[in-house]
Amino acid sequence: MTRWGARSALLAGPFILGVVVLLGVPMLLTGWYAFTNQTAFTPGTFTGLDNLRQAWRDPLVGAAMRASLVHALLTVPLRLAAATAFALALASPRRGNRIARAAVYLPSVLPDLSLALLALWAFNPVFGPVNGVLRAIGVTGPNWFGSPWGARVAIAAMMLLPIGEAFLVVLAARRSLDPSLYDAGRIDGASPRQLLRHITLPQIAPLLALLAVRDTILSLQVNVVPAYALTDGGPDSATLFFPVLIFDHAFELFRFGYGAFLTLALLVVTALLVLGQALFARSRGWL
Amino acid sequence: MDGDMTSAAARRPAVRGAASALVAALVVAGCTAPGPATSASDAVPTTIRLLMFGGPEERAAYQEVATAFHAQRPDLNVVIDAVAGQDELLARLTTGFAGGNPPDVFLVNFRRYGQFAALGALQPVQPLIEVSDVIDLADFFEEPLTAFRYDGGDLSCLPQNVSSLVTYVNLDLFEAAGLDVPFDGLDWNTLVEVATALTDADSGVYGLGTSPSLVRLAPLVWSTGAELVDDMVAPTRLTLDDFPQRDALDFLLDLNLVHEVTPPDLAEQARGSHDRFLDGDLAMLWSSRIEVPTFRTITDFAWDVVPFPIAPGGRDVTMLHSDAFCLPAGLDTTDAAWAFVEFASTVPGQTILAESGRTVPSRIDVAASAAFLRNDVPPTHAQVFLDNIQVVRATPSTASWNEVERRADDILEAAFYGRISREDARARLRELSFAPDS
Amino acid sequence: MTAGHVWRVPTAGRALGRAATLVAAALWALPVVILLLGSLRERGAPPPATFEVVPAGASLDAYAAVVDLLPVATYLRNSLLVVAVAVPVTVVVASLAGLGIRLLRPRLQRLALLAIIVVLLVPASAVWVPRARVFGFLGLGDSLGALMVTSLVATSPFFVIIYWWAFHRIDDEVFDAAAVDGAGPLRTWWAVALPNAGAASMAVGVLAFAAHWGNFMDPLLYVGDPGRATLPLGLSLLQALNPTDFPLLLAGATASAIPPVLLFLLAQRRFLDPQQWTAT
Repeated sequence: MTRWGARSALLAGPFILGVVVLLGVPMLLTGWYAFTNQTAFTPGTFTGLDNLRQAWRDPLVGAAMRASLVHALLTVPLRLAAATAFALALASPRRGNRIARAAVYLPSVLPDLSLALLALWAFNPVFGPVNGVLRAIGVTGPNWFGSPWGARVAIAAMMLLPIGEAFLVVLAARRSLDPSLYDAGRIDGASPRQLLRHITLPQIAPLLALLAVRDTILSLQVNVVPAYALTDGGPDSATLFFPVLIFDHAFELFRFGYGAFLTLALLVVTALLVLGQALFARSRGWL
Repeated sequence: MDGDMTSAAARRPAVRGAASALVAALVVAGCTAPGPATSASDAVPTTIRLLMFGGPEERAAYQEVATAFHAQRPDLNVVIDAVAGQDELLARLTTGFAGGNPPDVFLVNFRRYGQFAALGALQPVQPLIEVSDVIDLADFFEEPLTAFRYDGGDLSCLPQNVSSLVTYVNLDLFEAAGLDVPFDGLDWNTLVEVATALTDADSGVYGLGTSPSLVRLAPLVWSTGAELVDDMVAPTRLTLDDFPQRDALDFLLDLNLVHEVTPPDLAEQARGSHDRFLDGDLAMLWSSRIEVPTFRTITDFAWDVVPFPIAPGGRDVTMLHSDAFCLPAGLDTTDAAWAFVEFASTVPGQTILAESGRTVPSRIDVAASAAFLRNDVPPTHAQVFLDNIQVVRATPSTASWNEVERRADDILEAAFYGRISREDARARLRELSFAPDS
Repeated sequence: MTAGHVWRVPTAGRALGRAATLVAAALWALPVVILLLGSLRERGAPPPATFEVVPAGASLDAYAAVVDLLPVATYLRNSLLVVAVAVPVTVVVASLAGLGIRLLRPRLQRLALLAIIVVLLVPASAVWVPRARVFGFLGLGDSLGALMVTSLVATSPFFVIIYWWAFHRIDDEVFDAAAVDGAGPLRTWWAVALPNAGAASMAVGVLAFAAHWGNFMDPLLYVGDPGRATLPLGLSLLQALNPTDFPLLLAGATASAIPPVLLFLLAQRRFLDPQQWTAT
């Protein structure tokens, strides 16, 4: 298929340029800073593994890693399940499905901060509608952002809303499946659940695995706005997600070197997790 | 599949136009943008950027100073870059430095400037003052000057204000309860009595509002005659678990947990103490001068300030709040930026800022003037701020103090609202490590 | 021939399942409603005694207050400028790259997609500070250009994958025919690939708009000049100054959300409708 040979690869030129300048170079710089004592104002000198030693002793590092992993464990499966369930249930051109699809996608276009303020309001223990509904059914709602688990659940619930990307992907995938398989299955007397288990899921399994990987990456590495706007990492470091810790070190304490090292640590952990997921999917024949 | 290529392209007129518009837009956006011009191509006038934090009133005041300065020095143009709070200020400073375009002068609180000084990021103002014709340190209060001498040496930054911790009082609520307003000061016991009398939780009215933070606890500790840390110059731990510091900690926590005169956890989350005071539902509020511009917009009730409470039989002491102009080291614009700082620190400059109500001037002459001591607007007892200057104390200004304060604040807040036990809080405060100066 | 039993879920069960699905979908739209309703509350009003759907004394006062307190016009203008450039650039870059990958040999295609996953692995925190350096070096420091330039990585490499997938549905024969007709890769992109990826372009356009419109971190870190601040910065300013004035904050949040929501509602038919994604 080399119609145009190398010329067609040039199409990706702008993208590759962007990746190199905006991702590659910064990543390299981070890699360099990680082994120095670079600060915001002073050039760093090479300090070897000093940052590793400091991270090892730093109690907040362990707390932040725990917070991030708990968050990922809580949100990734739920988000994927919700996106998949909705996409499969709403894929057909039935009446009402179009509105339902738009409804499911809607929160994904909200600005980060709008979503965070919404959560702040919704989970406000006195004014918020969540506790309002609970009150109406006779239950005293908890002080959401005042307790570690309350805050975790509130943020997880908030993150359950913007599932648009995964929803879109599964939707498109479902529609691209061969309808004749389903006809054959139905003729053979398969129930809808059996169709799901034996036809739909196996075919979209690779995609689900890929989405799981992407969501894991996002939830571990990009998670700053909720903590920044809502909890400031509290209470008690329950929502001190790793990127938030890095932000604090880089921008409040000016320690670029240490922050860069923590970033590398995060990268390693994420890569390992992703590799684990990929291998698991491979072993099950999904990838 | 439509094999006719031309009609396909014709169906996308918007995309066709986008390509050429794109190039134009990128060029336009990259070069100049609406808003204050930077000095990319201008040789004259030079633009100086002041990075500050604060609300709209403060911004307006600094803008006035900038305009007045420009009138005096038409070759210099000052742009005010304002952020909401200290945290954003630090983030902006960081990327400013990293990106090679730091502000030319910035305003920072004394509790945070230690990090900068420790990293050698500041151009000390001492040598600039020594050759200045208009600035003489003798005109300034000594206390904020001390706070901004890093390691007790040269003056790093020039203090703009010398605010302190006071108690704001809602005069109408006191009158309604038949209580005398304690203009001469009060001690902890009286405070609890008064606050309890003024609290009516069922109506949502509370006697006292305070943030449960280290800057509120520190003067309570000092009032008992004890210290906050083991060594003011090179602190290694907080001494909050010792005696009599424990009494101060207990007093603070008791306000919420025992006497219940402060809004509890849920109530505070629903409506902060600051808002409660504005709405007239809070009898007293511990805060600094920062509240005055907003509080001056209150029309429903009368308010004033009284001194911060003293420990029974203890010392009269309160917490310093001071911000200063700092200049980054190694910039070309140092002289221009210093010219602005000079102007802002002379009588005209400080008068403009004093009139906004936001500052307690760091200059002795302006502080004593009518610009600050006004009778026509609250607080009519502004003298309290000046009296406080004799008795203010500062926290250590070390490189890691910012971090220590943040961690301590988390612990104090959790204990204040009963989320963790007192013993737990004491233990954590005891174990708070002061990272070595980097 | 086996006449199999044709499975029929009992009608009641089916109806229930359907109802449950629709209710669940409605739950996802609820937050936007909550946002709007919250912004209509009276500022400083006490908490509602009973659960009320529409708050008593509902008014648009909070919105007026937002306009009073913030230079909304400036923020709007800057946000619009950013998306006006960033969205088309994203669509162009992503579709070009997607086509570039599509035209590779199948094995190379898989490798390229894997490479994109690897690119996705770069943590956000790895770029915060170094990008400031890069922007300074490029002379983009403190300008709207710094906000637009992420469109060169197609805002998110994920959009490249969306385009690749859309072009994947175009048979090789089509591209061969274009080559035979004498078209180069660029012409093919313009005349063959893009017109047949309308749904993808809609999706990427809407998502890129939403991403740039709501981007909070980049303006916070890279844009110092208040004359170039965007809406999210204004919103965070509002929150810092009035942390518990909920109607005010929600009014700001709702107002910020209106453009991407409107755009989405107008365009969603084009890419959420399954008909759009089936082969042309």
